[in-house]
Amino acid sequence: MRNIIFLSTVVLFTFTRCEEVIDARTDVGNPDLIVVEGIITNERINHKIKLTRPYQTQNETPARVSGAFVRITNGTDTLTLTESPALSGEYYTPKVRAVTRQPYTLIIETDGKQFLATDSSEPVEPLSPLEVKKLNGELTLVLNESGTEANFIDYNINWKNTPACTGDECAGKVVFYDLKTIDVNEMYKPKEDKFTFPERSVVIRKKYSVSPAFKAYLRAMMSETRWRGGVFDVERDNVPTNFNEGATGFFAVSTVISDTTVINL
Amino acid sequence: MLTLVKRSAKILSFFFLLYTPAFFCFAQTLNDAIISVEVKNGTVEELLQQVSAKANIRFSYNPRKLDQTKITYRAVEKNVKEILRDISATFKLDFQFLENQVIVKQMKVAEKKPESSTATLSGTITDSKTGEALIGTTLFIKELQAGTSANAFGFYSLTVPKGRYEVTCSFVGYESVTSTIDLASSINHNITLMPSTPVLEEVVVTTNNSLDVIKGTKCSNVHVPVVTVEERPAFMGEMDVIKSLESVPGIKLHSDGSTFYYVRGGNRDQNLILIDDAPIYNPSHILGIFSTIVPDVVNDINIYKGDMPASLGGRISSVLDVRTKKGNDQHFVMWGNTNIISTKIGVEGPLRKNASSYLLSARVSKVKWFFQRADDQIKKFNFHDLTGKINAKWGNRNRFYFSFYSGADYFIRANKGISWSNNAGTLRWNHLFNDKLFLNTTVCLSGYDYFLYTDIEKDIKWNSHISNFNIKNDFSYFINPDHELTFGLSLNGYAFNPGNLQTNGKVPDKYAISVRNSGELILYGNDEIKINDKLGLNYGLRLTNWANSGEAFEFIFDKNRNPIDTLYYEKGEKYKQFTNLEPRFTLNYVLNENSSLKTSFSKNVQNIHLITNSVSPFTSLEVWLPSSYNIKPQKSRQVTLGYYRNARWGTSISTEVYYKRMWNQIDYNPHAETLLNPLLERELRFGKANAYGLEVLARKDQGRLRGWIGYTYSRAKRKFADINNGRTFNAFSDRPHEINLLLSYDISLRWNIGANWVYYTGSPYSAPISYYQFNGEEVPVYAQKNNARLPDYHRLDLSANFRLNKNPNNKIIHTLAFSIFNVYGRKNPLFIDYNKTETSNGELRIPQNVADADRVTSQFYLFRFAPSISYNFKWL
Repeated sequence: MRNIIFLSTVVLFTFTRCEEVIDARTDVGNPDLIVVEGIITNERINHKIKLTRPYQTQNETPARVSGAFVRITNGTDTLTLTESPALSGEYYTPKVRAVTRQPYTLIIETDGKQFLATDSSEPVEPLSPLEVKKLNGELTLVLNESGTEANFIDYNINWKNTPACTGDECAGKVVFYDLKTIDVNEMYKPKEDKFTFPERSVVIRKKYSVSPAFKAYLRAMMSETRWRGGVFDVERDNVPTNFNEGATGFFAVSTVISDTTVINL
Repeated sequence: MLTLVKRSAKILSFFFLLYTPAFFCFAQTLNDAIISVEVKNGTVEELLQQVSAKANIRFSYNPRKLDQTKITYRAVEKNVKEILRDISATFKLDFQFLENQVIVKQMKVAEKKPESSTATLSGTITDSKTGEALIGTTLFIKELQAGTSANAFGFYSLTVPKGRYEVTCSFVGYESVTSTIDLASSINHNITLMPSTPVLEEVVVTTNNSLDVIKGTKCSNVHVPVVTVEERPAFMGEMDVIKSLESVPGIKLHSDGSTFYYVRGGNRDQNLILIDDAPIYNPSHILGIFSTIVPDVVNDINIYKGDMPASLGGRISSVLDVRTKKGNDQHFVMWGNTNIISTKIGVEGPLRKNASSYLLSARVSKVKWFFQRADDQIKKFNFHDLTGKINAKWGNRNRFYFSFYSGADYFIRANKGISWSNNAGTLRWNHLFNDKLFLNTTVCLSGYDYFLYTDIEKDIKWNSHISNFNIKNDFSYFINPDHELTFGLSLNGYAFNPGNLQTNGKVPDKYAISVRNSGELILYGNDEIKINDKLGLNYGLRLTNWANSGEAFEFIFDKNRNPIDTLYYEKGEKYKQFTNLEPRFTLNYVLNENSSLKTSFSKNVQNIHLITNSVSPFTSLEVWLPSSYNIKPQKSRQVTLGYYRNARWGTSISTEVYYKRMWNQIDYNPHAETLLNPLLERELRFGKANAYGLEVLARKDQGRLRGWIGYTYSRAKRKFADINNGRTFNAFSDRPHEINLLLSYDISLRWNIGANWVYYTGSPYSAPISYYQFNGEEVPVYAQKNNARLPDYHRLDLSANFRLNKNPNNKIIHTLAFSIFNVYGRKNPLFIDYNKTETSNGELRIPQNVADADRVTSQFYLFRFAPSISYNFKWL
């Protein structure tokens, strides 16, 4: 019996794929790019456009691009965005809502260069009921595909007002991308570290529709982030952008639907 | 006197008729008698005396009329009838059977043709114990310094001036046979060679096989003896033909756990794998950890690294030509093997002794159990193989073969999964028109299916498929020992399904992605000629005509890759043809008996293309498409210069430098959608590639210590207008330095040990130069494509084989094989990732909470220190 156990251990050891943290020194660079992260939606709010620079070391706080002249136009009306707070690299529109299927163009002028990107929103399908399950005494989200159109859902979760909140970090964010694509690297993506939260947490869901160009961007971004590291990886390459040369990231226009739930199983 | 002779003949005829029944009884007795005889530098009379003593046959002959030439002949445990047939063929003797005696007479030459100054010696060369054809065996005439080698079916033909010659037949691992043959006229002479008795010889008797390397006109070709594959330390005890190719300079395996390989800077789809002439499209099991080709059923392995004979082609980088055994036609044999991965069993034996035989081998995996221990979501994880062959001889001029291979893999986890299967069958007819003209007619069917199950419960799956039907005639015309002509005609039919969804097992009425059908006509000719004692030339031409046919539809794109038109073709309607000429030649200059210089040029064309942007070492989406409007044929040109030398102790050294250019190479739009994309061809990018290198291989295939040492310096570059801003980048197989060391040593007659060490420069990959944030994700930014390299790869494997039987002549031979893969536990990464987080228990996972992610750089590797034990048996 001991021999069998030994043999099995050897076999499992042999076949257990091994993964470890390394300190890989590769070429780093400081590409002359600005990174744009911005989504305007059908909500009547101050929409945010965030401008940063790429950074060289993982988990670094990116440098902000401040003092840019940022506008959004639908061809007839033009909105000028205001950086707030100063030097934050975050630019806000006045309270405005984006019209579904209306094309909007983001214009950024900084360092004597102009960057342009255009997108328009698709209608969004309703949210399906929120599902959570218990995992080791805590809760975790059950993320399922729903509807027929590509979308993603932001789950902002916080338990600041519960007795379980004992430290500073009593919130989290989970994003579920449901792009309606068939990709083998997605099917065999690496395992996720499940995010857990306590009962009576507040979950705010916001479901975003995605345009075909935004879908292509998100699919490529997933291939380079959440889907990378499985057994069927694809060629690495830069994620596309809807900006002209010199900028990366994406300017998206979405239709959103949201709800808020206090979890009480 | 004449009257007396005639009368005697009549009397003999009468007796012959009278005793015919007796003859058959006697012949039957002869059939049953198995004896061993050996004559070294003796006479045919001495040989007959031995046969007489051992088989209890009385020969009657006139000693003065028997040839007194000194001969060498050996037969071990051979049928008397076969021995007499050998003697008859070699010494032109007739045997007449009368009662219990055999009258020996000089054979009458029946030919009434005009006297020719030349005669042809032809026949087949086989293993005396198994009857297997000994492909590549060298036949050499000392007096003429001329020779030939047996073709893929063991057939040889040598036309020389009439005379008496000392003919030596030799093959690695077999005892050479030398006999004096009186070639007064053409004769058929079948030769059987005895496998070398295992001895612990420090000094090696070299065979003339190395002469074929020196004097032959093949370049960039490596013959891999099956025994080398069997003796190599095997991962998990699974001997593997494809994995053993890593010891061949110029061939680069993708990584651990993969059967993908790259030859001289080419892509992995540019390698044709043939099993008995039938193509195998995916030779992997368990995603690539093992290959489909079981060495136990293999008779011969040849790899051509670009300089293929004109009869072979269709891929621009290499052809791996695997010939299976035909099955033992002497006696029944059963063999098997079991290890922790799989169990296999095989049977072979004669259907009719010396005339027909069969072989059947099956392998099943048992890995599911192990994997389920680690992951209970795994529903299916297994593979199987089935290989079979039967052959039958019809007269002396015809032989028929039918062989098949069937293999499949399943990997089903939860409600999703993948599976693939290869099926191939070959029907072959060998026909000998005369002693100079040989015909091989082959009909092959081969199919490959890949399934991606997106929903097992609803039976929704994606299927891609390629199959082909091939019929071909290969003629070999042996004009004289210095001149051989091969020519032929081949017709190929292909069917492609580049990936469509099936629901509930139903194929859609209308395909989202057009299925394609193509036909190919191939004409080829190859002339191998020895110009003089120093110079040999092998030149050939291959003409291919590729035509697509309906029912199909094709998209036409503008220069911005927007679809502007769709062309529909009716069933059978021909469209978009490509005609290509593929010239090739090799020139050999023999410097002296032990060394030669060769140079070669070859142009190759490929009309079927694997479409995948996967960088995984494992089998993933396999979509094949034909050359058509949007994909031009891939082409390559290669020049090679080689120096070949026979050194001491039976060692041979080959050094080759090459330069290769490739056109219409395929790469992909970033993050290309290759699955269920009707506009799939829009995702492709086309460019050029070039490769160059130096390959050195020293090998010693005989003796107590055997081994290969190889060194490769090579570069492989690619250039695409739409990739990497049009700048040249390193191909994945660009690994400048590679060293391979493969050793096998017989400690005793029962113990054999082996070692395999591999080193190569790490493979290029694209590493990010910076990152940016988008909605909580850390997105990498890349600069130059393949700007970084994985750490250098190296690995040592050890093996030991122990024969359990003390007596090697036991009916059942048992052996235990021990092996350790990656002895010193080198971590050879397959990928480096930048997107995971380390959990509290040390596991690396993708962070679900993007608000608080602390991402790290990680490496993934397989198989550190993997010991194994396997049990093998052979029941003879």
